[in-house]
Amino acid sequence: MENEFFLNAGVPPSLHFESSASMPMWHSLSSAMEIQGTEVNCLSEQSQDCFLNRKWEKSLDHGVHFDSALSSMVSSPAASNTNLSNDSFVIRELIGKLGNIGNSGDISPHSPPLLASYIGGNTRANTSCYSTPLNSPPKLNVPRMDHLVKENLPSLGKSMPLNSSVADFSADPGFAERAARFSRFGSKSFNGRTSQFGIKNTDLPCRSYLPMDTGRLPKVSSSPSLNALGPQIGALENNNSPLQDRTELANSQDESTVSEQIKGETGLKGSNDVNSRKRKTASKGKAKEATKAEEANDKSNAKRCKTTEAKGNENGPVKAEEETKGSTRCAGDEKQSKSSTKPPEPPKDYIHVRARRGQATDSHSLAERVRREKISERMKLLQDLVPGCNKVTGKALMLDEIINYVQSLQRQVEFLSMKLASVNTRMDFNMDGPISKDIFRSNNPSPHAIFPLDSSAPAFYGHQPQQNPALHTNVSNGTATQCPVDPLNTALCQSLGVQLPPLNGYSEIVSQYPMYGEDDLQTLVQMGFGQNTNGETAIQPRDFHVLSDQATHTKVEL
Amino acid sequence: MTPKGVSLNPNSRKTKFARRFIFALSRMRNPIPVSSSIEEEVRTRSHKIKIAAYLSMARAVGSRRAWSRALLFKLRTRARRHNMIIRRRSFRLKKKRIIKNDPQGEPSQTKKLRQLVPGGKTMDMCSLLEETAHYMTCLATQVKVMQTIADHFAK
Repeated sequence: MENEFFLNAGVPPSLHFESSASMPMWHSLSSAMEIQGTEVNCLSEQSQDCFLNRKWEKSLDHGVHFDSALSSMVSSPAASNTNLSNDSFVIRELIGKLGNIGNSGDISPHSPPLLASYIGGNTRANTSCYSTPLNSPPKLNVPRMDHLVKENLPSLGKSMPLNSSVADFSADPGFAERAARFSRFGSKSFNGRTSQFGIKNTDLPCRSYLPMDTGRLPKVSSSPSLNALGPQIGALENNNSPLQDRTELANSQDESTVSEQIKGETGLKGSNDVNSRKRKTASKGKAKEATKAEEANDKSNAKRCKTTEAKGNENGPVKAEEETKGSTRCAGDEKQSKSSTKPPEPPKDYIHVRARRGQATDSHSLAERVRREKISERMKLLQDLVPGCNKVTGKALMLDEIINYVQSLQRQVEFLSMKLASVNTRMDFNMDGPISKDIFRSNNPSPHAIFPLDSSAPAFYGHQPQQNPALHTNVSNGTATQCPVDPLNTALCQSLGVQLPPLNGYSEIVSQYPMYGEDDLQTLVQMGFGQNTNGETAIQPRDFHVLSDQATHTKVEL
Repeated sequence: MTPKGVSLNPNSRKTKFARRFIFALSRMRNPIPVSSSIEEEVRTRSHKIKIAAYLSMARAVGSRRAWSRALLFKLRTRARRHNMIIRRRSFRLKKKRIIKNDPQGEPSQTKKLRQLVPGGKTMDMCSLLEETAHYMTCLATQVKVMQTIADHFAK
């Protein structure tokens, strides 16, 4: 029976996938599936884990072929984990590994492995599922899975009732993608199933593969592989909407944490409850994909999710359908970032998050956790920015420090504007070249503004060897000398009533300006400007026109 | 070629801001002393300078950041309102206060932070922190440049 099931599922030609690109893969998958079908059945208790994980890694590489993967899968007798939880754990690991593999390479080669793992992972699930594909869901499966399976089955045809343990596969984004592919592929039986990576769900194959946007797939951090898979899924997805609705319905039925996780796993990363996850595979489809992504990389997902979130934060459109939770944002961003990593794939809108072990698994808490992680990450960045905040720990204290710092900066701006206003009353702002130059130069607020110039002068000299002597003389002449070549400069000095040693020092240089070309001026100013702590500003050529004009007593026009 | 130790970045925020600000300052004409006291004159002038500083900073940042957009919008509406009042002198626009919705009982400091950062009232915590970080760096550069200019003119 299982064989039949597999074979049916694996019949690619009958599948009508919208994406033609995936067809070849499906074909290969189908063939592989056929082979696998028989093999899988043999696999009974093996789980998944050991051999799947280890052999998988060995046998799989990007170009790994499905057959080899299968053989490895089949050959290695997985420890008989009768315990479904173990299976789920194993499967999860497997999925995680698959996801890793998938991530590294393109999807298609991995699809078969994914599929294989998917199948292999289901040891128990497979046997149970396949033996009673529609009628008796795996023991772990909740009753609802039962009817999910049942209801999907009729519509979908035969589905591979994967154990909830299989759902754990979904943690691996790559796996999810592959699973999605697989589900699409097997759409003959899976057709119409949600593209969710249904590994988790009994109807996994169908549902999980459907694009995330179907129904309530929670936003979970999706790995790039997922993203890659996404497009394909999306392509195939179109006709799956009715199914998805059904899936959603089914999903709604179970309130299991896993299903919720899957649905609302908005970006929680964590391995959370493997068991619950597996059982809840019913959450299906979308959730599966999400969960798979999550499971695959527990914490690493979290990190990835966070980073991707941070990266893609602004541009991640969240699939409204799927994501309702707060991680929506995260999911969208992450998906976006993930999709960016894989250009050909359309961006997915939600992030798969996996709940960590020992933590609450409902979607709300998952979303909350993601949000908290994002916030803490931002707080760390802020801590680096605010001076003297290294020792402050805690959000409240940190916020206090930040507020104080921002307030002090704003007060400084106000004070400086007052100062400038008072200065302005005394004289007009004559933004002549030398002044600009001086301002830029002395942007390094230190009394030794001239010294940095000296230090940088050699560098400058390197560029202007012919002018070195002149410049050097000028530069070294940092004392206050009243030798403004530029009448404007003199006027400014006199109006200010103060000697401007640095300015004077520059004035001599300024007088040399006509000798220098534009580039010289630019370099000079840049040198001065570059003395700033940031050392990054430079005056554009336009300013140098001004400067040169200044030197030539022409009207300065900024 | 860049001199040793100097990184040339003609497009850096600091340069952009400095240029804009200096330009704005130069454009600020010294008004003929009105009958009002010097203090008031200084105050209004300082206010103008402050607005000019924030405006040039926001322009230097552009529309990339939420806070710069919010700041530009606020300054523009304020200028518009100011112009309207000056021209028409008749009606005054009532300022509408956006009621910020506190999502989840955030700490009290968040409220304060939202008031400090332009546009922070309608941001969620995550983006608020991000905008705060960027705003802080821009404020710091603004202060540096203004300090330099003030020092230059004070000498």
